[in-house]
Amino acid sequence: MAPLTPGWLPDPAVASENKRPGDVKHVSLQFGNVLATSPVPAGNSSEGGFHVGRTKRVTTVAAGVAIAALLMTACSSSSSSSSSAATSGTKVQGGTATWAEQPATPPNYIFPFMNLAFFGINNLPEFQYLMYRPMYIFGVGASSSLNTSLSLAQTPVYSNNNQTAVINLKNYKWSNGETVNATDVMFWMNMMHAEKANWAAYSPGAMPDNVKSITINSPTQLTFQFTGSYNPYWLTYNQFSQITPLPVAWDIASTGAAPGSGGCSSAAYGTADTQCTAVYTYLSKQAGFDPANPSAANNSLSTYATNPLWQVVDGPWHLTAFDASGDVTMAPNKTYSGPVKPTLAYFKEVPFTSDSSQFNSLVAGQLTFGHLPFEDVTSQTTNPLVPGANNPRLAGNFALAPLYLYSIDYFPYNFNSTGNDGTAGKIFSQLYFRQAMQYLVDQPLFIDKVFHGYAAPTYGPVPVIPPTFASTQEQSNPYPYDATKAKSLLTSHGWTVVPNGTSTCTDPGTGTNQCGAGIPAGTKADFDLQYASGTNYIVQLMNTEKASWAQVGINVNLSSASFNTVIGNSTPCSPGPSCTWQMLNWGAGWEFSPDYYPTGEEIFQTGAGSNSGSYSDPTNDANIKATNTTTVNLDQYQNYLASQLPVVWQPNPPFMMSEISNNLKGATPQNVFGGLFPENWYFTKS
Amino acid sequence: MIGFLARRLVQAIIVVIGVLLLVFLLAHIIPGGEARAALGPRATRAQVAQFNRINGFTLPLWDQFYRYLDNIVHLNLGYSYSYNQGVWALIASRLPRTIVLVGLSTILALVIAIPLGILQVVRRNHPSDYVMTGLSFLFYAMPAFLLGELLILYFAVDLKWFPVGFSQSETAIDILKDPRSLVLPMFTLAALTIASFSRYMRSSMMEAMTEDYVRTAKAKGAAPRRVLYGHALRNAIIPILTLLGLSIPAIVSGAVITETVFNYPGMGFLTVEAAMKTDVPVILGTTLVATVATVIGSLLADVLYAVADPRIRYARR
Repeated sequence: MAPLTPGWLPDPAVASENKRPGDVKHVSLQFGNVLATSPVPAGNSSEGGFHVGRTKRVTTVAAGVAIAALLMTACSSSSSSSSSAATSGTKVQGGTATWAEQPATPPNYIFPFMNLAFFGINNLPEFQYLMYRPMYIFGVGASSSLNTSLSLAQTPVYSNNNQTAVINLKNYKWSNGETVNATDVMFWMNMMHAEKANWAAYSPGAMPDNVKSITINSPTQLTFQFTGSYNPYWLTYNQFSQITPLPVAWDIASTGAAPGSGGCSSAAYGTADTQCTAVYTYLSKQAGFDPANPSAANNSLSTYATNPLWQVVDGPWHLTAFDASGDVTMAPNKTYSGPVKPTLAYFKEVPFTSDSSQFNSLVAGQLTFGHLPFEDVTSQTTNPLVPGANNPRLAGNFALAPLYLYSIDYFPYNFNSTGNDGTAGKIFSQLYFRQAMQYLVDQPLFIDKVFHGYAAPTYGPVPVIPPTFASTQEQSNPYPYDATKAKSLLTSHGWTVVPNGTSTCTDPGTGTNQCGAGIPAGTKADFDLQYASGTNYIVQLMNTEKASWAQVGINVNLSSASFNTVIGNSTPCSPGPSCTWQMLNWGAGWEFSPDYYPTGEEIFQTGAGSNSGSYSDPTNDANIKATNTTTVNLDQYQNYLASQLPVVWQPNPPFMMSEISNNLKGATPQNVFGGLFPENWYFTKS
Repeated sequence: MIGFLARRLVQAIIVVIGVLLLVFLLAHIIPGGEARAALGPRATRAQVAQFNRINGFTLPLWDQFYRYLDNIVHLNLGYSYSYNQGVWALIASRLPRTIVLVGLSTILALVIAIPLGILQVVRRNHPSDYVMTGLSFLFYAMPAFLLGELLILYFAVDLKWFPVGFSQSETAIDILKDPRSLVLPMFTLAALTIASFSRYMRSSMMEAMTEDYVRTAKAKGAAPRRVLYGHALRNAIIPILTLLGLSIPAIVSGAVITETVFNYPGMGFLTVEAAMKTDVPVILGTTLVATVATVIGSLLADVLYAVADPRIRYARR
């Protein structure tokens, strides 16, 4: 377990000419009575950097307390999750670890260059990354930072006003004996240039659009020249994070062709689009998907473990068995050149149809690493990072370890909605109204009652667990529960509040004490909210929030639909007869991966594809642009949105409540991006 | 008979196309459509547009449906993004597993339910009849997930006689090689089916025993065994044949609850998952299989009717 000590956060800007936000320091976060701390990059904020309390002395004391609390937390966590953290028992070489896949989400795509249909945790960090390492890996211990130790390249060196980046590759090897070199990176970049529309993480204006040139200086060094100046954090965390070096053995356009004959890897950057398209098409077909003719019969899935292409790996594992239902077996890559070689003889991923069938397998002792369905959580915790008592049916053999992804949970208002007789969008556009709504979302209470204490609060656009980039202001909860304030906000803006009824606008107009533009007299605070069905805690949360809003006469009509229906409805729309949805909660918010630096341009920028509610604010757009293109840190951006409430922030439950066998060590702390690193795992015998 | 079969075949084709058209239309009015379902919340408008273009969703609906039917003729049921497999391959991998599970449990249910129903008639109003009737009601009323979970808890977790889940083997033969894993899910399905079949058998047999031809046989001095098996059973079994025919759709479309409880990805689970994921090609594929099975099942029931009951002469109609 990596100790959380000051300075562990790698700072990509260290090598930059412009020393950006960079200095590392700690902030603390209050969860019940326990403080969790984590170092975060300090910014050159007007507040004089992050601090806890009001003076530097207090800061120092608080930091000391925080660190002590962190250690206590870590120790407590360790003891609760004693299976993995404890070092008791003798380390055993070999053994097979069986890991439970999430229900009905088996891995089903092996080629790292993929479109959005295959882009998910099941295919990337839980499957491909074990065999094909991205150039940069994120997550150190329980933090979200760049993992310089596991990455295939050194931290980029930025220069020329952050328009130039030099990448130095380490000396990793492919399993066929070749070195992971600059050509392999160029192979990826050329493919991205040719097939950007088929790359899941592509965003117009970003990589590869913003890459002017790439030069191979030596087998282990490349220079990227960008079209403008960018924030080094953004480049490292959100742009270079997308690159996965591809072996030259894959640079072919037909089975049996000579490695490199595809002409995509060896060409100068951006000069081999036709060749790269042919290679992409061939490799995609080998992975089971024909990009030109998706409906064409293709049963490549069953060949994953036997196709020699996929046996060329640079990660610690290679595939030995794979079936279409998701039964996966991996064995160690004997030539893995990374820092930690696998101890296990095999790593198996096991598919499940449901939480209950997975739970039964856990109880029967047929899994090494599974998860506790949220419905089966039997005890409370006061700190979401520290598990309470385990389910009695598992307590003897497993340790509980909640895994929080680097994510935020929210649901959008539709600012363009013509629902509620054409007024819904107009009402949501009023900040006072959004503030009233948010004041009634009692996140600490909901976390305690609905989630048994196992949830992280969301107070703004940057995750607070881990608090790597979260500002003090955001973590302090700008809108703590206050029904009086909520009522006051409405009454002071022309609404006649009817508790447990429906409040009505009785003073229309655009004055500071009136309802606001486009809200006529008689307008009722009456809205529709559709949420994703099938998860108990979402149902409970929605009903609880509805009851809370009812206190000030905000009447929310709940309905449920399948996740995909809710997602389907959440498309941004322009004001018009068909743009009637008002609020939608798909229950998953947003996970920051591979946009590991949470700058939010995909979800909160005007016109962004995933800005479901069509939130638009020039100040926010400028803030986001600044986080991408200048060296300012995230404070201004996140503090502004935390106060502006573009969405309803709500508690963020763990991705899963991991259950780890008591004789399996090395599995915690878990990666906050859902990454699996079974090369760290080993069994012990007492 | 040939005329009857020909008429039924034409009807069957119309029914299959009609059902497919209905599902096709319903699937295409789902909010966001297949693109959003496949690409998820991160998809930009450009990505959605590209998805729709390469998958032919920008074509008129009638054109899409025509192409779909044309592909069916060529045994191409489309491609599933959520499984990264052709639908035909997906069904081909799930169908044998479901047939093994549901088929075997149906056979088991029949083998037990028919004698049980007869026994209940023979021992009518005896304590054994009351016990069997009570058990039938108990199993009939019991939800499959509850029975499955109880069986797992006792026989798999506590006693460890059987595995908690079903065999994950890909082929039907491999599944049959692991009979221990078949026991609990088969019993779960069979227990519910036995309860229902035996009740049908009991009431049907009791009705048959009051018919004139049975009374005549008895009056002519036929032995009770001959009356029971030679005269009453052949007529009493007709409703069971109907039930059996109507069981065929279930045999190929799966038992979603049992499959879910026993971690058995069969046709039932596939269908529900496809619906949850708005995976239209899979929804259409499983609907096609279920529809064809329903048509064949009801046709088979009619034919068996004719075989079992000489009074029925379809050919003369």
